[in-house]
Amino acid sequence: MKYFAIVFLALIATSAAAQEPAELIVEPSELNLEVGEKATLTATVKDADGNIVDRRVVFYSRRRRSAGVNPAGQVEAYRPGEHVLVAMLPKDPEDLDRRADALLTVEIPVTIPNPPAASVEFLELPSAFYAGTVVAVKTRVVDTSGATRRDVPVRLETSDPEVASLDEIGAVSFGSAGRARITAHAESVDSAIDIEVSPNPVANFELSASRKSARTGDVVFFEVSALDAAGNPVPDFPVRFATSARPAAGIVAAGAIGHVDEEGAFVAERPGLHTIIAMGGPHTAVKTIDVRPRNVRKGVEVVGQGPVRDRHTSDLWVWEAPDGRDYAITGSWGADGHAYFWDVTDPANIHLVDTVRVDARTVNDVKVSEDGATAVISREGASNRKNGLVILDVSSPTDGVRVVARYDDQLNGGVHNVFIADQHVYALSNGRRYDVVNIEDPTTPYRVGRFELDTPGHGIHDIWVTDGIAYSSNWHDGVVAVDVGGGNKGGAPNNPVMLGSYAYPSGWNHAAFPYKSQSTGKFYAFAGDEAFPYPKDDRPGAPPERAAGWIHVIEWGEWNEPKEVARYQVPEAGSHNLWIEDDVLYIGYYGGGLRVVDISGELRGDLYRQGREIALFHPNDPESFTPNAPNVWGAQPYKGHIFLADFTSGLWAVKLVDSDWKFMGEPE
Amino acid sequence: MKRTLLLVLAGLIASAIGAAERPQRGYYVYVCAESDDTVHKLRFGPSGFEVVKTIAVGAFPADIEGPHGVNVSPDGKYWFLSMAHGTPFGTVNKFDTVNDEWLADVTVGMFPATMSISPATGLLYVVNFDLHGDMKPSSISVVETATMIEVERIDVGIMPHGSRINANGTRLYSVNMMSDSLIELDTFTFEVARTLSLVDDTEGDALLTRMSAKAKPTWATPPTAEGKVYVAGNGDNIIYEVDVDSWKITNKLDAGDGMGPYNLDVTSTGKLLVATYKSGAHVGFWDLATGQELARVKTTRRIPHGVAISDDDRYAFVTLEGVGGEPGTVEVYDLATRERVDAADVGKQAGGIIFWKGEP
Repeated sequence: MKYFAIVFLALIATSAAAQEPAELIVEPSELNLEVGEKATLTATVKDADGNIVDRRVVFYSRRRRSAGVNPAGQVEAYRPGEHVLVAMLPKDPEDLDRRADALLTVEIPVTIPNPPAASVEFLELPSAFYAGTVVAVKTRVVDTSGATRRDVPVRLETSDPEVASLDEIGAVSFGSAGRARITAHAESVDSAIDIEVSPNPVANFELSASRKSARTGDVVFFEVSALDAAGNPVPDFPVRFATSARPAAGIVAAGAIGHVDEEGAFVAERPGLHTIIAMGGPHTAVKTIDVRPRNVRKGVEVVGQGPVRDRHTSDLWVWEAPDGRDYAITGSWGADGHAYFWDVTDPANIHLVDTVRVDARTVNDVKVSEDGATAVISREGASNRKNGLVILDVSSPTDGVRVVARYDDQLNGGVHNVFIADQHVYALSNGRRYDVVNIEDPTTPYRVGRFELDTPGHGIHDIWVTDGIAYSSNWHDGVVAVDVGGGNKGGAPNNPVMLGSYAYPSGWNHAAFPYKSQSTGKFYAFAGDEAFPYPKDDRPGAPPERAAGWIHVIEWGEWNEPKEVARYQVPEAGSHNLWIEDDVLYIGYYGGGLRVVDISGELRGDLYRQGREIALFHPNDPESFTPNAPNVWGAQPYKGHIFLADFTSGLWAVKLVDSDWKFMGEPE
Repeated sequence: MKRTLLLVLAGLIASAIGAAERPQRGYYVYVCAESDDTVHKLRFGPSGFEVVKTIAVGAFPADIEGPHGVNVSPDGKYWFLSMAHGTPFGTVNKFDTVNDEWLADVTVGMFPATMSISPATGLLYVVNFDLHGDMKPSSISVVETATMIEVERIDVGIMPHGSRINANGTRLYSVNMMSDSLIELDTFTFEVARTLSLVDDTEGDALLTRMSAKAKPTWATPPTAEGKVYVAGNGDNIIYEVDVDSWKITNKLDAGDGMGPYNLDVTSTGKLLVATYKSGAHVGFWDLATGQELARVKTTRRIPHGVAISDDDRYAFVTLEGVGGEPGTVEVYDLATRERVDAADVGKQAGGIIFWKGEP
């Protein structure tokens, strides 16, 4: 029916109407193409009387990487999907009146079907099948282009429902011993496995726990022993876990208060009696443990403040300088390029000893070398748009901080974050990559290397270097580990070698802190989000915009096997910068204030809900840049105190004290 | 203290202007404050020159995203804003001119800057300036403004910056700062139609890919009725006159050492050119018939950036970036007298500017 796409424009009739384009006809009016197929569109312009008018027509695609069209109307199909091409008749070039749109526009739908499925295969099949058990079958469909296709439905079929029956979600229940064929159908391809279901050999089914008692947040590993009559382990015997609980007295209507994963790792969020149930075919084993409150809550005492109330404060670094005194450096944001140097030797008497001003609006990041003698500050918003970084001599800030070098080569786009390690500066360049700059002689920095991902649309936000491995935070690409000398992969500052990466679905990865647990020896990357999904409040004096996001806990034993095992998520606030020391996590949580979290032991689930939060603190300041609108940028533990940078009020020093408000309405 | 003095200075300028010098109609401009993530709507009228609205822009309040370029749709109903920084690519954002409400955005290339909209098609052309890292050829993105979809990306030279479209919307004239070149883009086929070196005889693709950086052109005006495009040579202090028909340089206006002409605008009559001198902190007024500079006025703040001429050719509005914590400023010049007649402070690093409308 639709051989022509016609758009009619009702024009005011004039004597010249017959000359005016009234119709744009594109043939064919829609396209169905296979990937790689080509076609040609023909456009005809007619006036109101049906006469052909000689006018140029513009072609373009609204999804040019999927369906392309050139100026001559030649179309090429690149990727499957429903796409739209546009043919446009521009207005008369001689008509110079103001106008916004073309005279006539025609949309040409293009359908490019997915390539057909080429194969369907079974994944992760157990080595044996037992009567009376249930196994979830996993499959994968690959199409003729080699792409894995999750949108293709897979239908399972059994040759003998008595032996192996199927449910709607792909679980196979093995009824009696025997042989059966399970076939997976996907479009026109299929695949089959012949399975032999053995009689259930399990004679002894017992459940054991890695510990007898626990606190909330402690991970208890449950293990099933499935033995045959001879006392031998039964291989690949499928076990499922479940949990139920009776909360401690005084906790009412708590909802779910604990969980156990498919590997039997259990963690409680509230105290009480928690029962873990293991099921394997007809066998069931039950164990109950008493979970006590974690009781790690501390209070926060303000020790001192270095107020910055006339502008926003960005990041901080606290260190001992070669002169033997303790200092903090804070940056500034959206102002006039200041960095502040504070003597914090006595945290109760924080006082400013020097300031450095550079050509910038924002000094977002500040870092100090391991020997405490050299600092690097980042520049954004330079008046000449040549941003880069500035190297400072901070050997004795009390005697003055000295600019020793500026470095902006190929860092024009702005340096948002930096890190110093082993006499090299790792400097982000316009959120795209990082450059490695040698500062063995701080007065003559020079670039020795750089690292940039090759993924589509890649970006970078932060970097942290420890033990010769650089951990960058890369939004959608997640945390990326790179050998720069300590990864045993031949990496060096002038030859960064990628070790591995871990990305998570939200794409909000903003910061990361690598950490080896003092209590378990396990290595983690704690990855922080940054996101602002809430509507803006543009009222004058409104508090800073509310953030979202959380801390992702990634267990990273092998570079190619990162696994996200836990999170710390404050429901109504969003994370920013973080620091870890002695199994305690310190987070600048923007409007959520300072958060201090116990991360000792194994980690699973949501740490926030497990009573692991040691302390929270909101640095309210009625005289701050935005009064009483705390917005903590970052925190650093140092010599028994916690220093924090607050966006609206400057530098603070606090310390943890025994809490005198332990009762929060119910047992913790 | 310094800020206070600047504010006092701006106030003195304003108060020194007699009411008689104020216009009887209102003139509206949009101005970007690149280091404040704000856009300001200003009106110059009988009551003076004032910011009538400040619009916070950007998606990441913890990062400065850098509103750089601004333009208004040919029908005046929408304004478009290029945001320099993203993660990492920049965006073009669409707002309505009535409520200044954000409507949509589209991710384009690295550091999108100057934008032009074809009155023939409504398509928007934005240069991806890409001043970061390696100097390499960049692109111009084409955006369908109704849907805010990038429909094409056209390869051009190194650091494409100023660009303007001709009156009928068929040709875009754009400069490549580090390739020392002017290009003419066919806005219907999305192809580079012609290239012109400002400093030698290099042609074609070689002109786009080469690193030259002698003239460092930063701006191109739309062609005048006489078919002349004017190009600001920020690096060699020359304002080039290019004849569109012959596609040759027909005159060179010497702005003088240290001036660094940056942005340009020409009156609708094609007789007067106004240039910002970014390095020299002046504004220059050129008689295009004689090629003579009629006046050169020192700006009240450092780093003049953009210039936009009113629809009736009476006034030029000039943005001054300032340095560090200084506010940005917008100055108004009377084109009859070539004198500054008013000024208003806006957010930090005032840059992109576009004339919206005059009323009544």
